[in-house]
Order: sequence, then C-alpha cells, then structure tokens
Amino acid sequence: MTSHERGILSHSDLRRPRMRLAYGAMLAAIALMIASMLYPFTVTIFNGLKLNTDLNAFPPHWLPRSWHFENYATAWRYIALPGFLGNTLKIFVGNMVATVLVTGLAAYSLSRLRVPRRQWIYLFFMITLFIPPTTYIIPNFMNLKSLGLLNTFWAFWLPAGASAFYLLVLKNFFDSISMELFESARIDGASEPRCFFQLALPLSVPIFATLAIFVFATAWNDWYWPSLVMHSNRTYPLATAVYKYVIEVRRLDNNIKFALLSMVTLPPVVVFLLFQKYIVRGLHLGGVKG
Amino acid sequence: MEHIAAEVRAQRASPGKSRMAGKLRRHFWGYAFLVPAIVVFALFLWMPIVKGMVYSLQHIDFVKGNTYVGLDNYRTVLSDPVAGKAVRNSLYYMALCLLIGFWVPIGFAIAISELRRFQGFARVAAYLPNVIPVVVLYGLWRWLYDPIGPFNALLMKLGLDQIAFLTNPSWSMIAIVIMETWQQFGSALLIYLAAVLTVPRDWYEAAEIDGAGVWQRIRHITLPSIRHLIVLMLLLQVIGTSQGFQSQLALLDGGPNNTTMTYALLINKYAFTRLDYGAASAMGVLMFVVLGLVAIVQYRWQAKEE
Repeated sequence: MTSHERGILSHSDLRRPRMRLAYGAMLAAIALMIASMLYPFTVTIFNGLKLNTDLNAFPPHWLPRSWHFENYATAWRYIALPGFLGNTLKIFVGNMVATVLVTGLAAYSLSRLRVPRRQWIYLFFMITLFIPPTTYIIPNFMNLKSLGLLNTFWAFWLPAGASAFYLLVLKNFFDSISMELFESARIDGASEPRCFFQLALPLSVPIFATLAIFVFATAWNDWYWPSLVMHSNRTYPLATAVYKYVIEVRRLDNNIKFALLSMVTLPPVVVFLLFQKYIVRGLHLGGVKG
Repeated sequence: MEHIAAEVRAQRASPGKSRMAGKLRRHFWGYAFLVPAIVVFALFLWMPIVKGMVYSLQHIDFVKGNTYVGLDNYRTVLSDPVAGKAVRNSLYYMALCLLIGFWVPIGFAIAISELRRFQGFARVAAYLPNVIPVVVLYGLWRWLYDPIGPFNALLMKLGLDQIAFLTNPSWSMIAIVIMETWQQFGSALLIYLAAVLTVPRDWYEAAEIDGAGVWQRIRHITLPSIRHLIVLMLLLQVIGTSQGFQSQLALLDGGPNNTTMTYALLINKYAFTRLDYGAASAMGVLMFVVLGLVAIVQYRWQAKEE
C-alpha cells in the first residue's frame, strides 16, 4: 500500500465491521445530499412539463403524468426573454470591458510601474474592501441618481471598474509574471500601453477568464440592485424581469412559471457542466472573498 | 534660444517644481493607467461612503432639496420599535446560519474526501445550486415549502403534522436559513475539500500506527490542519450574514409580522417604502460603526492570542 492511496481511513480500517457500518452511513449521507441537490433541479424541469392540475395535486409527484412541451411555447410568449437576456449580456460585456481597462490598467501600474506614492494609492483602493456594501447601499443609489445614471447601463458599467477584490486578484497575477519579459520589451522600444495590451493582456487571459466567470455570475444572478437602478422594461436584466414578472406574479399558472424558470436555469447549468474545470479553479480565488 | 534660457531660469527658481515635473514625465504612463481607477473608486465607492454620513444628518427631498436636521434621523431610527426587532432578527439569523449552515460544508468536505469513487460527481452535484440563478430558487422554494408542496407531503407520509414553513412565524427564518444553506454550501465545500486533500497522508499513517482511531485522526489531524481556513470562513460568513436581506425580501418581504425583517432589509424598507432616505442612511452609518467596533475588538483579541 502506498501512502497516497489512503485517506483518513486506511484499508485495514475498512475491514473492521464497525468502521464499515460508519462508512456505509457516510456514503448514505452523501447520497442523500446529492439527491437533495438533484431533486429540486429536476423537479423544476418536470414541473414545467406538467398540466397545471397535475402540478397542484397533493401529494406532488416527481414525473409528469403526461408531457406538455407546449408549456414552453406559452411561456415564451408570456415575456420577451430575448430582450431581457440581451440586457443581461450588455451588462456583462460592459462590466468585463471596465474590468479589463480600468481595473486591469490600475493593477498593472501598481504591480509593474513603480510610481511614487503607490502605497497610498493602493490603500485608497483597498480600504473599500473593508466597508460592507450594505452600509452604503442607499447613498450609492442616491449618488447614481444625482449623477443622472439611473436607468442607463452606465450605472453598471462605470462602477464595475471599482472593484478592490478584482484589483487585488489582478495585481497578484501581474506580480507573478516575470519582470525580464517587460524589461526586454522596453529595451526594444515598446511603450507602456503596448507592453500592457500586447504583453500583459495576452499573458493574463486565464485570470481574466476566471474573473469573467465571476462577472458573468453576478450579471446573471443579481436581481435586487438592477430593480432599483433600472425602471423600465427596456433595461431590466433577465433576473430582475423574472423576479418581477414571474416570481412575484400570483395569477400566472404554476406550470408556466416552472417552464420559464427551467428556461432560465438550463443555459447556466449547461455552461457550468462544460466549463466546470475552469469554474472550480476560479473558486479557489473566490475563497478569499467567500 | 530665449525660451530655453527662460526655462533654465525657471528651473533655478524652483528646483522642487522641476523635479516633480521630471518625475511626472518619467511616470506619466504609470499615473495615466491609475487615473481611471482612481476616478471610478472616488465617484462610485468613496463618494457614497462619505455622502452617506452627510445624508444621515439631512432630510432628503428630491424635489425641494435637502435640509440639515441634525440627529433627527438617528432619533427616528433609535425610537423605532421595528429597528430593535430588526437587530434581534439579524442576530437570530446570523446565529441560525452558524448553527444550521456552518458545519455542513466541513462535514461533507471530510466525508467526500474519503470517497474512493464518484468524488468529482459529488463535487459537481453539491455545487449545482450555486449555478442556478437565485430568482429561480426563490420560485422553486416557495413551491417546496407550500402547504401542498413536497416537504409537507413528506411530513404527511411520515405521519407528522403539517408545517406552514413560510407563514408560521417560528418557522419562517429557519425556512430561509435552510434554503440558503442548501444553495450556498457547495462553494464552501469545494474550498474546504481542497484544504482537506492537502493534509499529508503520511500523518494519518503515522497516527494510525500510534493507535489513533478514526475520530481521533479527524479531531487531532484534519481539523487542526484546516483551522485557519475555518476561522476565515467563519469571519466571512458572519460579515456576509450580518448584511443578509435578499432571501428575506424575496420569499417573505420581511413578514410574517416582521419576523424575517433583518436590519439590512429595514434599511431598504426605510428608503424605498417609507421614502425616508435620511433615516436609511443613518441606519447604514450605525451599522458601519457597529461592524467597525466588532472588527476592532476581534482584531485586538486575535492579536492578544498570538
């Protein structure tokens, strides 16, 4: 037996009957956990395919009695999902551009360009990490209002550059790129912007990909803040629209509700299953943030 | 020729200024790269933070303009019985999150690390709810908790009494914490799992040879090895849950009878339901002061311990 084959338990542990029982109980607990994770997900999709009377039967059952794919057509006609989806994507793309240009450039400067007094500038950025956002959520809203940014996408794009956490992650990444590369580029006469766009950016594609996952998850998930900042049908992102027109509406039949929820659930789940490796790697960065 | 001479004269007159100009020229791009970030941080983070303190001393009127009212907003908040209840609700919510939610990912991380097969599948399954948009979960869990939903069907099958999870005041907060634990524990699980898997296997080998049982190995090797991570996650959870309000808002709107009205939710209610932005800002400042004091006490305490 080699040492890396064992965990906390060894093979000889597993031969003892009491330990086997405990291990079996542990497996059962994990199986139960996995079932409790998969059940709500599958039930959302199956509920979206039931007749409404079938869905409201008590006790509820998992599989539909009959399959009604026309629910999706009804759901599709109920709200203009593509428009809201477009708004979410607009927010995502703009936020990503701000992250690359504003946060990325600042992180590069702090990491590579050694300007005088950079510690003070760094502090100016980092202190904001320690101020809980809820404590200034109302002034933040009023600030956007007085800047005339309410109901525009700039209200998302511009503040997206002001993320101390992303700045920290990017600076740490730039710190890890070898200095010689930049020195030789400078000797060859490359200007600083050229060093950033043609050297630093291509080298940091993995870290920006990871941040893109965070930025995307925020844009896709966030419903409350957009519901304050945006106030028209043309500007709501998908999550806010689903909250306002699906979750909060009582008149809507439950099966249509679930068909809509399935449509909003499936794309991110498929993306997650495809890109799982990168997402899980990104999480270890996220661990710092929680 | 003439202007060069003028420049030389100017340099002699103010050597400091020219050194600064030289510095600026040398570090032009360095500063230029920082300017956009400084502007957005100032405009969208520092401005609201500072303005919040100003607003907390004002009566806010978007039409007629703001007027200075001294500490009136603070008096309004401190004399509001709902505010006291909201503080208690927030503390209750934080305690429940620790009690119900905190140990779950640690336990499952240790358990999953012992899986010989399907470890990857278990991870993906546990993380799945993190991927589903939260608004979908609100719709889903309202149905799960429904009097004619699956939970009550299960209770009936087990021969137990029905529970109105959302409308019964003693269950409403618990229902929310269960939902959030289910939704969020996957990401904590992955972080703990990575840490548990880095504990050197030889340590367990050595402990076993010395006669340590399985529980002793977990208690004296696994848990101490991830102690720092546990403390960090605890702090992050406390900071996070002290600000929690979105699930309470989405599932129950603070009800029934204000039992899920957390402090952060009340801030939003003051602003967007009562339209009293001044009092809402004052609540934000009070929260900032309290969290700041807690942070200082915690830091002192930790420094003393080390």
